[in-house]
Amino acid sequence: MSQGAETTPPMSVSADDVEVLNLTKAFGSNRALKGINLTIRGGEFVGLMGPNGAGKSTLLKILAGVYSATSGEIRLGARSVPSLGGNPGVGFIHQDLGLAEGLTIAENMSLGAPPKRLVGPILNKRAEREEATRALTRVGLDRDVNTMLSELTAGEKALVAIARLFGRGAQILIVDETTSTLSPPEANRLITSLAAAAKNGVTVVVVSHKLHEILEATERVVVLIDGAIVADEPTKGLDRAALVELLRQQETAGSVHTGSTAEGSAEDLIELRDVQVGKLDPINLTLKAGEVVGISGMVASGLHEIAYAVNGNLKPKHGRVVLLRPGLKRALVPPHRETQGCFGGLSVRENMAVAALPRWRSLSRILNRRRETLDCETMVRDLSVQPPELDQHFDVLSGGNKQKVIFGRALLRQPDVYVLCEPTRGVDVGTRSEIYRLIRGLANNGAAVLVASSDAEDLLSVCDKSAIIVGNTLRPFRPTAELDASEMELMV
Amino acid sequence: MSQDFGTSTPPAEVSPTQSDGAPLRQDSPRSISALGTGLGKRVVESGLSFVAFILLFAGFGIWLRGNFLNIDARLLDIHQNVPILLMSLAALTTLIAGAFDLSIAGVADLSCYLAVGLVVKQHFPFALIVVICIAVGLVIGFINGVLVERLHMNPFIATLAMGTLCEGVAAVYSGGVLINPSGGTAQLPKWFLDLGSYQHKAPEWLIAISLPVAAIAIFFALDHVHPQGWSQKRWIGAKLLLLGVLALLLVFVFRLSRWLSGTSWLILVLLIAALLLWLLFEYTTFGRQVRAIGSNREAATLVGLPVRRQVVKTFMLGGALAALAGIAFAATQGSASPGVADTALLPAFAGAFLSTVILSRGRFTVPGTIIGGIFVVWIGTALIIGGVSSNWTDVVNGVILIMAVGFATVMRRKA
Repeated sequence: MSQGAETTPPMSVSADDVEVLNLTKAFGSNRALKGINLTIRGGEFVGLMGPNGAGKSTLLKILAGVYSATSGEIRLGARSVPSLGGNPGVGFIHQDLGLAEGLTIAENMSLGAPPKRLVGPILNKRAEREEATRALTRVGLDRDVNTMLSELTAGEKALVAIARLFGRGAQILIVDETTSTLSPPEANRLITSLAAAAKNGVTVVVVSHKLHEILEATERVVVLIDGAIVADEPTKGLDRAALVELLRQQETAGSVHTGSTAEGSAEDLIELRDVQVGKLDPINLTLKAGEVVGISGMVASGLHEIAYAVNGNLKPKHGRVVLLRPGLKRALVPPHRETQGCFGGLSVRENMAVAALPRWRSLSRILNRRRETLDCETMVRDLSVQPPELDQHFDVLSGGNKQKVIFGRALLRQPDVYVLCEPTRGVDVGTRSEIYRLIRGLANNGAAVLVASSDAEDLLSVCDKSAIIVGNTLRPFRPTAELDASEMELMV
Repeated sequence: MSQDFGTSTPPAEVSPTQSDGAPLRQDSPRSISALGTGLGKRVVESGLSFVAFILLFAGFGIWLRGNFLNIDARLLDIHQNVPILLMSLAALTTLIAGAFDLSIAGVADLSCYLAVGLVVKQHFPFALIVVICIAVGLVIGFINGVLVERLHMNPFIATLAMGTLCEGVAAVYSGGVLINPSGGTAQLPKWFLDLGSYQHKAPEWLIAISLPVAAIAIFFALDHVHPQGWSQKRWIGAKLLLLGVLALLLVFVFRLSRWLSGTSWLILVLLIAALLLWLLFEYTTFGRQVRAIGSNREAATLVGLPVRRQVVKTFMLGGALAALAGIAFAATQGSASPGVADTALLPAFAGAFLSTVILSRGRFTVPGTIIGGIFVVWIGTALIIGGVSSNWTDVVNGVILIMAVGFATVMRRKA
């Protein structure tokens, strides 16, 4: 935090310096950013870290101009700007690279750039190709620019996206978790390429969960937790263990462990026998009544595929998902709230009731609207959804309240097994601990719960036993309390 | 990205006192602000287009007076457009599920030909013919559903081709000419022709029953806009007062009795079909699941709904309604001519899209479809009465549909 104050004296402010002054952002009453002060000098290579929901993506979205800040200022080279987006000198790389698979490298590079023309509407393809080739050499990618994008590996595509930004004169690169979906060698290649660019005077900000990437390549580390910067120091001389400890200590706060794991005689409800999904190795897993089981891993590790298989949405390639109780009911809280959980145009009531409709069906097959409304009202009250109006459009709710309604949807179904993906993604601290308490309550009432989350806090806070996906393997389950720091590091 | 954007902005305007996770305080100021912004906005948003239509109607009434404000003539308009309105309902069913079916015109054509042709050429009993027509609609809907849902064909091309195919079959069956039961040939049953004629009205007792039912329905429907903080006693009083005023208005200003006595059999068929469809979509598991599927298919899958099966069912339902529309065409015309339903495809879809803004906030509804369809018809007629040459009919219709649906779309985006 103190870093911000040091910047005010008029040291030489170069045109590529980015300053963020006292930036805040609130979604309703949820304060996602609580006064961020950050100065990034031209040519610096900065790593931005923090657990999910810490505000990293909110900060980046404000910088990109997707959100507008509630208060505060952004400066680029001492000039106050509303955002860095739209400025050709600043380039953003997201997980979605914004490239077209069906076009060649050269065509992708010229997408969105002012067209170079020969005569009238006729394009100068030669000039486009030459420019693309020049840009590719800057990122060290040795590929013919006529190659179709679909023939490239994921890492090469990321390099093309970066080359495209360089081709447009970007001097500042902001890279958001692009490495999390890459294989380790490709991720390394990307980081090396970024480090080389930083040496040549380009400013690079990288958001990553991978400690070694940050520690080996960057010059400076900024750690964001709960919307505030808690550490901002040079990477050199930074203790790896201290960084892990810092990330971890924040995450275990608010644990609701009750240690009710001791019952050995609990009923088995679902069993995965040598189940193979996605690129993962076969998985064996048993969910017991009254137990909360957690699995974690990188976002693209196949974590959620396991959850889908347990919930019956995804048919495993091999192996079987065995239901051990007749008429067993399952309910899922999906990982991506907006695209997978929301029925936007429908009301809160309809969103909640959709999975449990047969409950309110009378003999005539007509739904009993009164009983449905009563049950939904009770649920809205129990989960303290705000505002507590059932006929409200679902879209109007804030993220945390949407998540509560989606939980309510699962609860109304009264399932034996809950499959919860990223249960606390994008919710504020208060809701987070409410959700943990809720999950604990479900297990105490005899349900089996599977938590599939890339957020280590979820596992540490409510899971009785946990396992991590490393590479393509789900490691053996261990009681969460016994997980050690090195395993923690794999999670964050 | 736009997803995130859309969801990030609204919370700020919900209410400043809202707090994630804070226990609800009954006396907090937000209950008042919800009444002021939430409920009020909701009513205004969903009622605006309806009011606009009423004003337009009143405007034409003031301009054209008796020529336009003629209850019998306006009911005749509805009567003649019952087949199109039925096709609107057919279009609506698949639209609610997030799909669409362009074959409904073809199905209606084929069904119209079958209804007349099977009498004239094959001498089938008419009840059987109705069953055959509906069955054909169901089968074609099923094929459409399988093509789109199982084989993952592009719905645009699959249903368009299926519609053309139906018209082709109709042409082959009829030899491409008008089938008109005349003189020597077998006649359409008299009750069927009566059904299609405007002169034959629905019986009074049916109307007499439906009135109190409607009153009770409105009484309970009003509970949706129950202001928070009003006591039950006060609310019931307010509702009764509102109903009374409404009844007086309808009886003395809008001449309710003449509207009712002018209701023809065909209009009654339309109303019953609409009522059943409304019940299906609002009060059954099927309807609610279909709405969820139409709102977010992926989420519906993850919730565990039988998505593909339900969508195929909506195609079948749409096919059956289109077939019913074909029978209605046969009833109003007493004959079957080539491409009778072709020009109805656009108005049918327009009516369905209009429903998203009529007494509704962005969702497809059955009552909205009927009301929107009727108003579009009336405005077209008003312009013709007002002196626009009948050669301009299609131009006028096109302009009205574009304006109405454009208005609907703009309103929906704002809401």
